[in-house]
Amino acid sequence: MHIPDGVLPTSVCAAGYAVTGIAVWYSLRKLNKQEDPRKDIPKASLVTAAFFVTSWIHIPIPPTSVHLMLTGLLGALLGYYAYPAAVIALFFQAVMFQHGGLTTIGVNAVILGIPAMLCHYIYSYGKGIINDSKVKNSILGLIIGVTGTGLSVFIWFLILINFISANLNASAERAAIITGTLAHVPLMALEGVFTAFILVYLKRVKPELLGEQSNENSAG
Amino acid sequence: MKIALDSYHGMNTIIHRWEPRTKFIALMLLIFAFSFVKNIELIPVMIISSFILYTLSRLPFSFLLSRLCLPGFFIFIMLVLLLFLSQGTVLFKIGPLAVKKEGLSLAFLIAVRFICIITIVTILFATSSFVKIIKVMRSLGLPPLLAEMMTFTYRYIFEIGKDLMTMLDAMKIRGFKARSLKDVSTLSSLAGTIFVRSYDQSDRVYSAMVLRGYGQPASFEEDFQAKKSDIALMIIVILTACTLTLAQIFL
Repeated sequence: MHIPDGVLPTSVCAAGYAVTGIAVWYSLRKLNKQEDPRKDIPKASLVTAAFFVTSWIHIPIPPTSVHLMLTGLLGALLGYYAYPAAVIALFFQAVMFQHGGLTTIGVNAVILGIPAMLCHYIYSYGKGIINDSKVKNSILGLIIGVTGTGLSVFIWFLILINFISANLNASAERAAIITGTLAHVPLMALEGVFTAFILVYLKRVKPELLGEQSNENSAG
Repeated sequence: MKIALDSYHGMNTIIHRWEPRTKFIALMLLIFAFSFVKNIELIPVMIISSFILYTLSRLPFSFLLSRLCLPGFFIFIMLVLLLFLSQGTVLFKIGPLAVKKEGLSLAFLIAVRFICIITIVTILFATSSFVKIIKVMRSLGLPPLLAEMMTFTYRYIFEIGKDLMTMLDAMKIRGFKARSLKDVSTLSSLAGTIFVRSYDQSDRVYSAMVLRGYGQPASFEEDFQAKKSDIALMIIVILTACTLTLAQIFL
């Protein structure tokens, strides 16, 4: 889901950097308003590293397997750290594995970071109106999982098809966007289910990770 | 899995000895100049400059090839798409699909641009230690919060990655093998455990860091001292980047 170097025109890469610059500035501004913004850096960094590592887990879809993006979970767990975390994860993906690229970090961060931020807002709003019900938490997980990946896929296709070449056939472009998005529907569903499972697991095992009080504390 | 960025940074070549800050500035400008190229006549300049720099770095050719393989599949799909979906003069037909001249030249340009940029990125990150590169980015204006997050993340990727591999091995020993979608629940618990372990570890790391004085105003020591030869190298690379950009504008 990452666009490599050399594919997009420089103007699009520059626009990606501009949007990412604004989004990172906004996130840092929000983080700097906290009492001690540096306190959460180790937590955010380790969870970012964990996101990076969980992308190595392959889910079997016979005859092949896929790895997940977990954009929705990124937003839910990291909040305003999600966009900087996306930039950092993309930087490492680009220089370690050549997934994505240095010139396209801005654009790729838009693809990953904007849906993650949206999922952060959906999750913050959602957890305020649901109780501890496992079913409701699963549904919330499903919603953020599907929304995060769905939006990422949609932005990815829009950017690729619109900016890769002005020379492409318009009807072929439309067909490619529709086919490409439809081909990712099973992945979106899988991301939704996977996110729902993780969210319920974390809610049960480590609610502090979701910004809530631990079960032991609340019981006491 | 060999993922360390700077496995070859201990070598002794002109590129390895090049002071990191001037190297970073020059090579990043060259990367962006490459991405700006649209004119097919400028391709030889890109290839020659990448080749010279890679040869000077004496990095193994197999190392570069291994880095090109992974994203190669995506590039291949995209080039096929460009070849057949572009509009323009038909060169030849393969069954019902026609290869267009414009599509072919654009696909060629994107492939070369991609290879040249990956070559320069490889040179940049394989010939300096990663900690130095973060210091360079910090000295060039990267916000302190991002620089700190980057350092921590890089430090713990390997450790958490090792944890994941150990857990996967343990699951295999107990007879687990991911075969179908039914295993999603088990794999999500595995991912969840990774998050919980990293969170617990972050608590311990934070406490240990506070004991060592973390929380004081951030300071980064800048010990970059460019020699005349470093600056000369930087000027040569920047001139190449500027020439490419100007040639692209005026040709």
